[in-house]
Amino acid sequence: MSLYLTGTFAAKETAIHAIKQLKASGYGPTDLTVFSDEPVEFPRGLLDQPSHMSLAVVSGAAIFFLLVVGFVYFTQYNYPLVTGGMPIFSFWSTGVVFYEMTMLGAILTTLGWFIWESGLLRRDKTIPVPAIQAEAICLRIRCAPEQYEDAASILKQSGAQNVAKLEKAA
Amino acid sequence: MAHATIPYQQVRNDLWRPLAGASKHYTLTLALLSAVALWGLIAWGYQIHVGIGVAGIQRPVFWGFYLVDFVFWIGISHAGTLISAILRLTDADWRKPVTRAAEAITVFALMIGGLFPLIHLGRAWLFYWLFPYPNSRLLWPNYRSPLMWDVTAISTYLTGSVIFLYLPLIPDVAQLAERATGWRLRIYKWLALGWTGSDREWHALERAMKLMAGIILAVAVSVHSVVAWDFSMAIAPMWHSTIFAPYFVVGAIFSGLAGLIVALIIIRRALHLERYLLPHHFQNLAKLLLLMSLLWLYFTFAENLTVWYGNEPKEMNVFGARLRGRFAPEFWLMVFVNFVVPFVLLGIRRLRSITTATIASVGVLLGMWLERYLIIVPTLSLPRLTSAWGRYSPSWVEISITAATFAAMAALYLVFAKLFPIVSIWEFEPHAPEDE
Amino acid sequence: MSPEHRWGMAIDLDRCTGCQACVAACHAENNLQVSDPASAAKGRAIHWIRVDRYYEGEFPEIRVKYRPVLCQQCDEAPCEPVCPVYATYHNDEGLNVQVYNRCVGTRYCGNNCPYSVRFFNWFDPVWAEPLQLQHNPDVSIREGGVMEKCTFCIQRISRAKDEARTDHRVLSDGEIQPACVQSCPAEAMTFGDLNNPESKVSQLAESGRATQLLEDLGTKPKVFYLERVK
Repeated sequence: MSLYLTGTFAAKETAIHAIKQLKASGYGPTDLTVFSDEPVEFPRGLLDQPSHMSLAVVSGAAIFFLLVVGFVYFTQYNYPLVTGGMPIFSFWSTGVVFYEMTMLGAILTTLGWFIWESGLLRRDKTIPVPAIQAEAICLRIRCAPEQYEDAASILKQSGAQNVAKLEKAA
Repeated sequence: MAHATIPYQQVRNDLWRPLAGASKHYTLTLALLSAVALWGLIAWGYQIHVGIGVAGIQRPVFWGFYLVDFVFWIGISHAGTLISAILRLTDADWRKPVTRAAEAITVFALMIGGLFPLIHLGRAWLFYWLFPYPNSRLLWPNYRSPLMWDVTAISTYLTGSVIFLYLPLIPDVAQLAERATGWRLRIYKWLALGWTGSDREWHALERAMKLMAGIILAVAVSVHSVVAWDFSMAIAPMWHSTIFAPYFVVGAIFSGLAGLIVALIIIRRALHLERYLLPHHFQNLAKLLLLMSLLWLYFTFAENLTVWYGNEPKEMNVFGARLRGRFAPEFWLMVFVNFVVPFVLLGIRRLRSITTATIASVGVLLGMWLERYLIIVPTLSLPRLTSAWGRYSPSWVEISITAATFAAMAALYLVFAKLFPIVSIWEFEPHAPEDE
Repeated sequence: MSPEHRWGMAIDLDRCTGCQACVAACHAENNLQVSDPASAAKGRAIHWIRVDRYYEGEFPEIRVKYRPVLCQQCDEAPCEPVCPVYATYHNDEGLNVQVYNRCVGTRYCGNNCPYSVRFFNWFDPVWAEPLQLQHNPDVSIREGGVMEKCTFCIQRISRAKDEARTDHRVLSDGEIQPACVQSCPAEAMTFGDLNNPESKVSQLAESGRATQLLEDLGTKPKVFYLERVK
């Protein structure tokens, strides 16, 4: 049964210090979550989790490309009508449509992957979330009950304010 | 560079204040704009009921005001793409207070522009035939037609722009949801998707924004090229020009920038955002406008020089009508407001100010509308066979609908500014008012 | 599958007197809208075939040239690829067909036709009494919002083909005459099958006098204008 505790930092540097200490104590990126009302730039590799968004977007675009080429090919030949002596299906006369639908694939994949990767909509409602603090960085640690004291002391040593157990808000 | 910052809470107070309540000015303006928009809607209904003949178009000028408006509004939509995407990709920090206003212009301009392919149809109630769906006639749309390219391009761009506007809105909406009540609370909560501000969410958002910026830029360039190809692909004299695609893209960015400047000036005054939309923002935008003006002049010159030098008789008829004949007043007015005025007012540093940027931008909006008119109408008025030469003058229906689109744009914007902070709070880096 | 017929027309500009009987006949045959002076002044009159007049010289040494212009049924028609809904396409007898039911009225085809032979129905048509009694039942009435143009009297072509098939015989040359061809008092117009080398229109098309309108555009029109000899 995990516990959640939080500490609030006024500056990025103290938060980084605390995170480094906690990582040295064995906490991984999934145990540590930082909450803020503006994006905080941490040094590379501190809390990073691998992201496959670029690959996903390119794949999504490629899939849409194949779908639209197949679709246009099918529809043009399904009821072939000669117009202006042009070939029934050619890349040049419908290339724009291929391009736009490929980009649409990229766009929709970006949105979908963002929602997936951010964890929005999938959030486990039983895990408590601190309120977004004004101009502060809030660090939430998930730990076992016996590790609570150690974690709390690391936070306090790094200069955190309001170190406390986090209960789920009503 | 150290600067005194505007206090955190002050920023939020200033940017959230417009969202609460509605002043008399606001309500009156919104009512007036809605009335004009409604009149346009009535005019459109009349047109559908009686027939498209109530518009001033005739053979051979089969396309008139509606197509001019269509190209114009799609052009305006490039405001957001330029400011948001290009400046995002180049990491230009000064763009930050301006991005949401620009992205909102894009979405609304696209929605309005996208109406015109509907409005100009002879049998508008059958517009859905342009979409592929299995039907009893076993027919599919003709994807070889530039108009179908338009449909796909604008659908894609609209989807992308809405998403591009929405994504950076999420953190702001989440903050608003904490303080809202009633119907607003429901909207904000729904839009916030449960945003908590965790680092995972922020990373995903920033990654998505970076990707979207690149994608939307690629789409925007293609969209206005496709709109240009509606004309280029035709063999009508002075339409069948290879320069149209980049010409239109440049013109779109040009007009979009002018539209953005006008919108920002109004927002700054109406919402008392003088400390957020600083003179140096307008200086930068004005310099960009000047640059686009020079670029526009370059393309216009190249286009007209090649036509004149080539001396092809059918094209020279149109060329002569534009520069010396019956369209000359519009043509030279266009050159004046698109080049001369911005060059003087924005090129001379002492004259460059918020006021002159406004004057130049309004002029550019007029000039770019005229440019679309001068591309469409002269060519169609003077086709290859002289027996078919004709004229065009707009009817009250076309004028009403055109005016209604401007009113609708402003009204949509007013509503947007009441629901969401027009300056992106989480992206905004506070500057002291003295900063230049 | 090679097409059985390929319809074409030859117009002898030496014989054409500019009388416009063809224009009137086309109106009668194809249920064309009648314009009032106001709409004609607005450029909304519909004439599927029109006679273009060109004047040369000053009075009294004026020469007038007449050229009847109708849809050229181009083999590489610029109007066809731009229609988003396939309301106009090329059928296998070489005709540029206009499908009224399918047209949504984008009017792109009208813009792209270099001969300006396409016409639009701006309103639902209204005929002053008793002209509505004169309608040809073989030709549909087009509602407002639909594009139209010369069809080479496709209703006459279809009827002749049906009759030939019923009678188990082959169509003979000159059996099909569109209304304009039939009505020309100077017999300046010839219609027939370009696939048949013996037909009169094929022979005229091969003659040294045959030219095409705006030939350099590469639209491959199927109306051959026989140049004036004098």
